[in-house]
Amino acid sequence: MKLSFSAQDETFREEVATWMGENLTGEFAQMRYRGGPGDEHVFVEERKAWERKLHGGGWTCIGWPEAYGGRGATIEQQVIFNEEYARAGGPGRMGHIGETLTGPTLIAYGTDEQRERYLPGILRGEDFWCQGYSEPSAGSDLANVKTRAIKDKDSGQWKISGQKVWTSLAHESEYCFVIARTDSESVGNKGLGFFLVTLDQPGVDIRPIQQMTGTSEFNEVFFDEAVCADSDLVGAPGDGWKVAMGLLGFERGVSTLGQQMLFQNELDEIVRLAKVNGASQDPALRQRIADAHIGLRIMRYNSMRMLSGGGDDGSLQKEAMIYKLYWSSWHRNLGKLAMDVMGPESEVLDAAPYELSRLQAMYLFTRADTIYGGTNQIQRNIIAERALGMPREPRG
Amino acid sequence: MDFTFSEDQYLFRDSVGEFLRNEVTPERIRAGWESPTGRDDALWQALTELGVTGLTVPESHGGLGMSAVDFVLLAQECGYVALPEPLVNTALVAVPVLQAVGGELAATWLPKVADGSARVVCGLANNQLAEDAHVADLLLWCEGDALFALHPGQFTARANASVDPSRRLYAIAIEPGVEPVLTGAAANAVGGLAMRRGALGAAAQCLGLAQRMIDMSVAYTSDRQQFGKPIGSFQAVKHHMANVAVRLEYAKPAVARAAYSLFTDDPGAQRHVAHAKLAACDAANLAAKHSIQVHGAMGYTWEVDLHIFMKKAWALAGTWGDSGFHKACVMDYLMYDDARLGATGTFS
Ligand SMILES: Cc1cc2nc3c(=O)[nH]c(=O)nc-3n(C[C@H](O)[C@H](O)[C@H](O)COP(=O)(O)OP(=O)(O)OC[C@H]3O[C@@H](n4cnc5c(N)ncnc54)[C@H](O)[C@@H]3O)c2cc1C
Repeated sequence: MKLSFSAQDETFREEVATWMGENLTGEFAQMRYRGGPGDEHVFVEERKAWERKLHGGGWTCIGWPEAYGGRGATIEQQVIFNEEYARAGGPGRMGHIGETLTGPTLIAYGTDEQRERYLPGILRGEDFWCQGYSEPSAGSDLANVKTRAIKDKDSGQWKISGQKVWTSLAHESEYCFVIARTDSESVGNKGLGFFLVTLDQPGVDIRPIQQMTGTSEFNEVFFDEAVCADSDLVGAPGDGWKVAMGLLGFERGVSTLGQQMLFQNELDEIVRLAKVNGASQDPALRQRIADAHIGLRIMRYNSMRMLSGGGDDGSLQKEAMIYKLYWSSWHRNLGKLAMDVMGPESEVLDAAPYELSRLQAMYLFTRADTIYGGTNQIQRNIIAERALGMPREPRG
Repeated sequence: MDFTFSEDQYLFRDSVGEFLRNEVTPERIRAGWESPTGRDDALWQALTELGVTGLTVPESHGGLGMSAVDFVLLAQECGYVALPEPLVNTALVAVPVLQAVGGELAATWLPKVADGSARVVCGLANNQLAEDAHVADLLLWCEGDALFALHPGQFTARANASVDPSRRLYAIAIEPGVEPVLTGAAANAVGGLAMRRGALGAAAQCLGLAQRMIDMSVAYTSDRQQFGKPIGSFQAVKHHMANVAVRLEYAKPAVARAAYSLFTDDPGAQRHVAHAKLAACDAANLAAKHSIQVHGAMGYTWEVDLHIFMKKAWALAGTWGDSGFHKACVMDYLMYDDARLGATGTFS
């Protein structure tokens, strides 16, 4: 065990901090601390430009192997990068789905052709991705997807028809990875394919859904014989579930490190506010703030423990299963704590018609944290059934 | 000892409740969000015709002379439908404040409240913002050691937006030269009364809001299918709603107790109201949290009506004293040397 950073790591930290200090300036300065979860609708074009700027400094996809244009950064370096990025108030990353989900998935399961075609756009901050898993009848029961992919005998291309829903940032993306049924007779997690679909085509219709925040981050996406080349199927027909689940493993890997730094910024903001408005004198609130601090520390230690033992490809051990439940519950409590610290102010918007303050937006977004990416109930089922080996609940 | 409401009180609640459920639909609430005042004159008119605006006005001034105990059930119904109009404020806070001031002010305004010709609301400066000052014919405003009875023109109201788009909030600045109607200890006493009554009204509405969110969640989870069955059949889902039901049921007697204390001028009323506000807001908060959860992503949308009720509960939690304020009130009593703790303190 060694719970400290090396001298080389500290040099790396200097490098990140200096770069952020010199570059998150001018036109980009207005985006500091903005564009995070619940705030994704702001500065979209500016944040896309920021991705290109990051690439210019070599700061996109730093965890990818050098062969694919990354830095092959160590876990320690990725931790440090995320810490310094957050400390500088770096804006919510537009490119994170491509960088942390599509990229690792293609590196693990894709063909050379797919990697050559898609990785450079992600790396350069030019191509943005979204996740087409959920459907109206396939939420928690993801294996119930109905979207069909039929291979056209003449052209050899796939034609995709069906509906996805809750697709985050589809309206800002070039591509969507879609799970669809390649075997129309199949049910459940058999007979699925994992497709890389270009969104700008006649067969795709994207309609934003308004959230309780008043803004729209997610969408309905309708596919009506949308075309997808055979070379854009990842794995074989029928491998879709395996690839889709592999991808969810990456979701709980290093991408969590940046998220925890956002949490730290939020907690700092709550502490700052409590000192200003007197809530820090309230014994009940003081205790909850201390609990939040302890909870975040535990979350962070556990991630680093997981990552120190995980393989180079970011695949995780059993503990990974507990992570989603832990952070989402912690964060939901933090949202409520923020409102209680605000007291009577918690009701008052920054501006009409519906401009939420940063903490209000955070509070609302934390209502969704326990839902997306597998609800808390589904996480508990997974822990009980797969980690503890308890009997499976009767389903279907 | 009797902790129940009477048959008449329930009958009255049911008849007004039925009217509210029919009239104050989510569609109508959403229409109000788009309108400049956010208030629905036709609805207020209809409430007036039913006689509900004057329920707590004494009979001598043309009302029905109802008490806080009678009214608290109706306030729950207002919560159940998330009524945007200031009925709870008028009946439970403004009318008793007018009565406490008495004299010509009461004689002039109470009959107008009863016959619906005037809207009167009350606010506290230490609550920061006034509800519905833009439609009030008279704003009773407690600021510092003074109580003002303000007519339009005697104050400027700067609009603040609320997380609950139905609520209209205003920062009040009194024009120079306007004299208060009460000052010093008398004004403070009325300010305390307003705070207790406002908090009771918020608590009672939270009970109704919690019930509404339970009803919506039970309906949704009975209908929505995953894994080939209604999601309400999964224990994880039903236990969530069962926990909310328990929390709500156990908040109800605290609210009833507080209403009774206001009715009887119990010296412990402040503390009883604090219990009620804490318990009821807690129930509504839990209802909101679990209801969103069992709705899945649907519960996070603007289109599904759940957020109407969730946001009202959110707003009411911080207003008329937040949880820190009310908890401090309970703690101060418990730590006070002459507190009547012990076995015989049940009704203290
Ligand atoms: C903000 C946000 C962003 C999202 N972004 C994306 C995205 O980019 N791409 C994408 O594909 N999807 C996305 N989603 C969708 C998300 O993955 C689903 O919402 C989630 O999987 C739950 O599905 P559902 O909403 O249909 O809820 P349901 O599955 O209908 O669940 C409703 C309730 O029933 C419970 N439940 C269901 N089955 C069981 C069971 N067997 N045992 C116990 N309880 C059960 C759930 O826990 C939940 O409380 C997003 C969702 C949100 C809220």
